[in-house]
Amino acid sequence: MIQTTEVKEQIRQYVLEEIAKTKGINQITDQEVLTKNGIIDSMGIFRLVSYLEDTFKIRVGDEEITHDNLQCIDAIERLVISKSKKSLAGN
Amino acid sequence: MAYLLQQLLSKSAKKYPGKEAVWGRGRSITYRELDERSNQLAHLLRKQGVSKGDRVGLFFPKCVESVISMLAVLKAGGVYVPVDPQAPADRVGYIIGNCGIRVLITDHEMRQLLSPKTLAIVDCCVSTDQAENGHSSMIPWSQLAEFPADHAPNVPSIETDLAYILYTSGSTGKPKGVMVTHRNALTFVEWCAEEFQVHSQDRLSNHAPLHFDLSVFDVYNALEAGATVYLITEELSLFPTSLAAFIQEKEITIWYSVPSALTLLLLHARLTPEKLGSIRTILFAGEVLPMKYLRQLAEIAPKADLYNLYGPTETNVCTYYKVERERLAGMEKLPIGIACANTEAFAVTDDGRIAGVGESGELHVRGPAVTYGYWADVEKTRKMVVPNHFQENFEEKMYRTGDLVTLNEDGNFYFQGRRDSMIKSRGYRIELGEIESALLSHPGVKEAAVLAIPDEVVGNRIRAVVSLNVPDSLKPLDLQQHCSAKVPKYMLPELIELCEELPKTSTGKIDRDRLKEAAAALPMA
Repeated sequence: MIQTTEVKEQIRQYVLEEIAKTKGINQITDQEVLTKNGIIDSMGIFRLVSYLEDTFKIRVGDEEITHDNLQCIDAIERLVISKSKKSLAGN
Repeated sequence: MAYLLQQLLSKSAKKYPGKEAVWGRGRSITYRELDERSNQLAHLLRKQGVSKGDRVGLFFPKCVESVISMLAVLKAGGVYVPVDPQAPADRVGYIIGNCGIRVLITDHEMRQLLSPKTLAIVDCCVSTDQAENGHSSMIPWSQLAEFPADHAPNVPSIETDLAYILYTSGSTGKPKGVMVTHRNALTFVEWCAEEFQVHSQDRLSNHAPLHFDLSVFDVYNALEAGATVYLITEELSLFPTSLAAFIQEKEITIWYSVPSALTLLLLHARLTPEKLGSIRTILFAGEVLPMKYLRQLAEIAPKADLYNLYGPTETNVCTYYKVERERLAGMEKLPIGIACANTEAFAVTDDGRIAGVGESGELHVRGPAVTYGYWADVEKTRKMVVPNHFQENFEEKMYRTGDLVTLNEDGNFYFQGRRDSMIKSRGYRIELGEIESALLSHPGVKEAAVLAIPDEVVGNRIRAVVSLNVPDSLKPLDLQQHCSAKVPKYMLPELIELCEELPKTSTGKIDRDRLKEAAAALPMA
């Protein structure tokens, strides 16, 4: 079973190191909107999705790549948890 | 006939007062409201000292108030300067200082991003916030109500006055401000109105940011026709499926964007002909759309007219190609087409002749669409806006685009490449030299080369190779952060590679070809 705290820590780490810091932002809260002020760009969105798919062994459909699902660390965590539960239930 | 951009609004406000003019962030305003609010804001700006030719900055995320502000500045006789809301504080400060912006229209959140040095240049800030939050140093939007709505200030502007300044990347490390007159913009708008037959029932998308010249069509051709323009926020444009749903929901009839926005939609939005059913015309400009995506687009939008538009900010759009569907299957390269009405475009060969069929040369443009050049930069202007020596009988200027083109037998121009190191990524003009300057401004950096790696989706991806004064003294991330304070986010290298020394050619120059080959061979993240 996936530990939620662990998931969040991994997402935080990725968002901070791979997205925010490369744009000169050194701190980011779990609620901070990544789509504002160009923190994340369109290529960044698809890189983030690939990372989530590879790391958490989930599949994110094109129709799930939305602002609601990816706007901040909290939202991304919710997406990952709900997807992992579904994939576990599917097994 | 309109000779000032704001006259396009006056005409439509009389004809279609109750019609929706602008939609943005879930709100919309009618033509009457747009006319009245912009009259009021124009009076307010005059009261704050804006007089003819004064530059007024617009520094806030795209919304209904953006269009009100653009028109209000023009009605006040001023020149508006849309500043990229995502630009780093240094760059915003440079632009404000460079063109001497004393009145800035902004909001509280954005104002906080400005440095004290920048704020010292600005005399007054007008806030676009709808709710007042007691920030005493800003003039609240609610003050508009105190000014007359039924008429604009009486300012005798003429068509050769500046209307707006758009800043683009500059090779020497600082952005340059392209000065656009009413006549420059109207030449383009009038051509579009005729060519695309924009009418009052049209619903135009506005995908490009307002500091980007693609937005001129969206806003002013909507106003010209009495149509509605739908402002697409940056947040929405990031998510292809949401964007496709937006197009369908708002029943967009004319779409205009950079090719990479269309490519993202094609790759990730699960488009169907039904989803794009309302669209009758698709325009793209800013970079080359790969043929395979153009073919996909033609299939998914079987009834739409597709146009490739071409032109640097300095000339607006100057050539166009209407896609001939019957030629698509066998077409290898997309032409940039022929000159727009009231514009002349010709290629000049290396030996100074006008290129004939089958020949290549640098594209030159003459006509009323050609802008004066760059704000407060006579030297750069002289290099690009040059005397037309083909004109023997009187003095005239023409613009050197720096783009190499070939004139083919089909009568169309085809883009071949650049004369300099300017590249396009996601439709943005980027001078690689500007990024190199940013890297070299770090005291620890010895040499820097910035490379563009061609990419089918975004046009080019940016990589940098850097050597340090003291090996291992810096990490790539340090340099990325250093650059992020100097150049906009879309200009930041995706990858910065450190090496002991950059490879050199036999003449001692940095061997960019070798670096490029090596960089292209590396996997992309």
